[in-house]
Amino acid sequence: MYTFFVNGEKKTTEKKQTLLRFLRDELHLTSVKDGCSQGACGACTVIIDGETCKSCVPTTDRLEGRHIITVEGLTEWESGVFTYAYGEAGAVQCGFCIPGMVICTKALLDKNPDPTDEEIKYALRNNYCRCTGYVKIIAAVRLAAKIMREGKIPPPGADDWKIGSRVHRLDVEEKVCGTGKYPDDYYPEGMCYGTALRSRYPRARVLSIDTSAAEKVPGVVAVLTAKDIPGQNKIGHIKHDQYTLIPIDGLTHYLGDAIALVAAEDMETAEKAKKLIKVEYEVLPAVHNIKEAAAPDAPKVFDEEASNIQAHKYVSRGNAKEAIRKSAHVITRHFETPWTEHAFLEPECAVACVEEDGFVKIISTDQSAYCTMNECSMVLGTDNVRCENALVGGGFGGKEDMTVQHHAALIAYLTGRPVKVRLTRAESILIHPKRHHFEMDFTMGCDENGKIMGVKAKVLSDTGAFASLGGPVLERACTHAAGPYAYENFEIEGISYYTNNPPAGAFRGFGVTQTCFATETLLNMMADEVGISPWEIRWRNAIRPGGVLPNGQIVDESTGLAETLEAVREEYDRAVREGKPVGIACAMKNAGVGVGIPDWGRVRLLVEEDGKLHIYSGASCIGQGLGTVLVQIVVTNTDLKREDIVYERSNTWNAPDSGTTSGSRQTLVTGEACRRACEKLMEVRSRGKTLAEMAGMEFQGEYLAKTDPLGADVPNPVSHVAYGYATQMCVLDPKTGKIEKIIAAHDVGKAINPLSCEGQIEGGVVMSMGYALRERYPIDENLKPTEKYGALGLFRSHEIPEIKAIVVDKPGLNVACGAIGIGEITSIPTAPAIADAYFRLDGKRRTSLPLEGTPYGRKGE
Amino acid sequence: MAKKKFPFRAAVVACNGGCRRTQTPGCEYGCIGCGKCQEACKFGAVHLNEIGVAQVDEEKCIACGKCAKICPQQVIHIHECANYIVVKCSNRNNGKDAGKMCSVSCIGCGICEKTCTAEAVKVQDHLAVIDEAVCLGCGMCAVKCPRHVIIDQRGILTAKY
Repeated sequence: MYTFFVNGEKKTTEKKQTLLRFLRDELHLTSVKDGCSQGACGACTVIIDGETCKSCVPTTDRLEGRHIITVEGLTEWESGVFTYAYGEAGAVQCGFCIPGMVICTKALLDKNPDPTDEEIKYALRNNYCRCTGYVKIIAAVRLAAKIMREGKIPPPGADDWKIGSRVHRLDVEEKVCGTGKYPDDYYPEGMCYGTALRSRYPRARVLSIDTSAAEKVPGVVAVLTAKDIPGQNKIGHIKHDQYTLIPIDGLTHYLGDAIALVAAEDMETAEKAKKLIKVEYEVLPAVHNIKEAAAPDAPKVFDEEASNIQAHKYVSRGNAKEAIRKSAHVITRHFETPWTEHAFLEPECAVACVEEDGFVKIISTDQSAYCTMNECSMVLGTDNVRCENALVGGGFGGKEDMTVQHHAALIAYLTGRPVKVRLTRAESILIHPKRHHFEMDFTMGCDENGKIMGVKAKVLSDTGAFASLGGPVLERACTHAAGPYAYENFEIEGISYYTNNPPAGAFRGFGVTQTCFATETLLNMMADEVGISPWEIRWRNAIRPGGVLPNGQIVDESTGLAETLEAVREEYDRAVREGKPVGIACAMKNAGVGVGIPDWGRVRLLVEEDGKLHIYSGASCIGQGLGTVLVQIVVTNTDLKREDIVYERSNTWNAPDSGTTSGSRQTLVTGEACRRACEKLMEVRSRGKTLAEMAGMEFQGEYLAKTDPLGADVPNPVSHVAYGYATQMCVLDPKTGKIEKIIAAHDVGKAINPLSCEGQIEGGVVMSMGYALRERYPIDENLKPTEKYGALGLFRSHEIPEIKAIVVDKPGLNVACGAIGIGEITSIPTAPAIADAYFRLDGKRRTSLPLEGTPYGRKGE
Repeated sequence: MAKKKFPFRAAVVACNGGCRRTQTPGCEYGCIGCGKCQEACKFGAVHLNEIGVAQVDEEKCIACGKCAKICPQQVIHIHECANYIVVKCSNRNNGKDAGKMCSVSCIGCGICEKTCTAEAVKVQDHLAVIDEAVCLGCGMCAVKCPRHVIIDQRGILTAKY
């Protein structure tokens, strides 16, 4: 019997388990998040006898007499201060790391009421955040300290909730206090636990599966294999080539392929039973990389495909070859970019159950509840499926595909039992699609003044074990490879290959993060060759309103690339004058999926019995703050006040499908649908009706972001409805070789919430500092990636430089009140800007990522 | 007292003194209790504890490094105080010999290395070494160490020493 105190209450337990499992599973203190159970992420941090401690580390037998504090144990004053400070500073995005950060804040301030920034960074440094780049969390701690000292919580800095107002996000309190629920925080009555047996080999034929021993283990609810699937086995975000379970005689495609599902009363039993499943394999040679996949006698990753080519794209306008031939300056280089893991703080989790009406309901963390519903419906062979988003602990593109949802749905449907299927961190690192590894050959030609004459390129990508979004990522990589510049001759060919690596798919930047590194690096080299500054070459080539992009699209008045260049000019020139190594890069990124794909935004505004307007939209908030954006749009476009409005999380039964949270599209596409719904609402309001009188009324807004398909036979196709533009620059400290400052100027159209906008920029920049300098996703010869979250090389709070986010607020489009998405572009130009700064430091031109020979690499690497 | 600058640094003695209770002569790598460190320290930050092994008071220590320099056994080094998870052994003998010498010696079993999510712990010459620049301070290695070589100096996850 072990006795200790949790939030002042005496607790006893006989079971030896980690403190994390005890707090979550026995006490249901779900503010304590399980982000990795490896001691890495810090989401489970608690205070033990005054010191911060990751609760996944100590076991209950070592805690005799200890006093443990979780966020649930904060005083009312403390939660009030932290909620205010985190809200005012804009420190909350997906929220999954936040309770751990709050605990670190408390532990610090209890000992040190007036900490320096350095001390704050150190107090947070063992906790990872993947959304914010830490800047605003550090600001929140600073603010909390001040309020604690002064003893009074001031009124919020902004409270009118109109567009352009820096209001606190609407989900701050539930995320700071840990009351908001992610799927893992649901513990429905009678719930069992599901887990999948994964393939032992990346490429093998399954000869037999014997589940009899596993089924006999007491506590096992069911063991399922492919033959139990009532609907179709193969699903996928676009192309249906992802197996739910590998059947007998089927081929495995990577180590994450599921062979069987085990559902049991508890996880220990499920794991035990899983080990008793006997699978016979015929081990086959695997395809390790692009070169092997492209070889003429390559083993095929898919039985059902003619070759390992997953997608082929070709974009051409003008005559690139001829233009380059005539150019005064020509540079050709080979570039490579690595695999990247999203490393969102919340591992994939779904809870499914069969409801009274026979529908299977899935509570899921994903980027579209409708996608989850549709793909699960395919597996179950029934339309009686509904899905609801819980809070989503970060996505960044990595939660667009089915990972656990279809397995949870299948178990619930076939057993009738509520079930939770959750990936371990090691599984998460293996299973969800990553950022593609790219190999790129680029040639750029310029005239003697540095005007780009033409670009010709060939890019290859490794899309791994199934298509996921490999095709569209390749397409976006190709369409945006030209960069945000005005020139006419552009030709690019892209091929994406299947391999037996983990799958690759969407990742913030969607292929552009890769090709932008190549184009921008070439442009920096070209500036040196021509003899002008890297800033000047961009200024001369920048696309401006009315100009024609290399894809033929005429850009509109909102186009603000030149403004972002101007925004950094003074600082750029000063750094050059002071002799500091400084690098620069620009980028463009579409908002909306574009290229002719029907891109619908839908919002339903419903006045409910409580006399409030409820916003329903089947659009996932994955941490970026969509709910706050929609409420600010409603407040601006109606005469309602914040307190009249309730934002509802996405679901598939009373929220209309508003597409996937992808392509930086929700603010613009769903935002415009919301604005249109507001117009309808105001027609009724203007007749003098009160909300109470309007109870039961609803207003639907729909918006189709209409574009032309790739290669459309029109002179100037509209590839995307809107583009965001950015210039980022990186200044190094010449003495230490470390980054002193990154300035990121972003043209966002109208910033709905500038505070959130800055948060996106800072988070995107730090994420791509990792991509540029340190992050790794090592895959061994057996095609097994690392299992360790702490070894991915993510940046920590004490390692970040000063980041200056400049929101260039340029009025533009007449949709969504002028707002353009910001989600992805924040991480696109960072890597080439940093690479150029290092070239200015040491004269070494680096053409692959992560950059070698910087102080950020690991010792011995 | 000399002024300390954040991030604070201090000396740490990489020896638990396990052999001093039971064996003479003691471990060839460990603290021999000569007291030179104690004499060298102007701040009263180093003393020989109840079993005669050098121990540092981080509150008093300013990381001047005098004790580390004078230590004939080289068991003292300077580290950042924020990295409270430390290895308290310097024995580079193979596991069998190290195991015989002392009940709290590192035998180079590698459980720490395997368990470390950050790949911060490496066994070098049969001895666990933590790269403090990479360590995430979770203490998983300390909790899993079968020899109680790796400790949490705060005394939360393990005994203080």
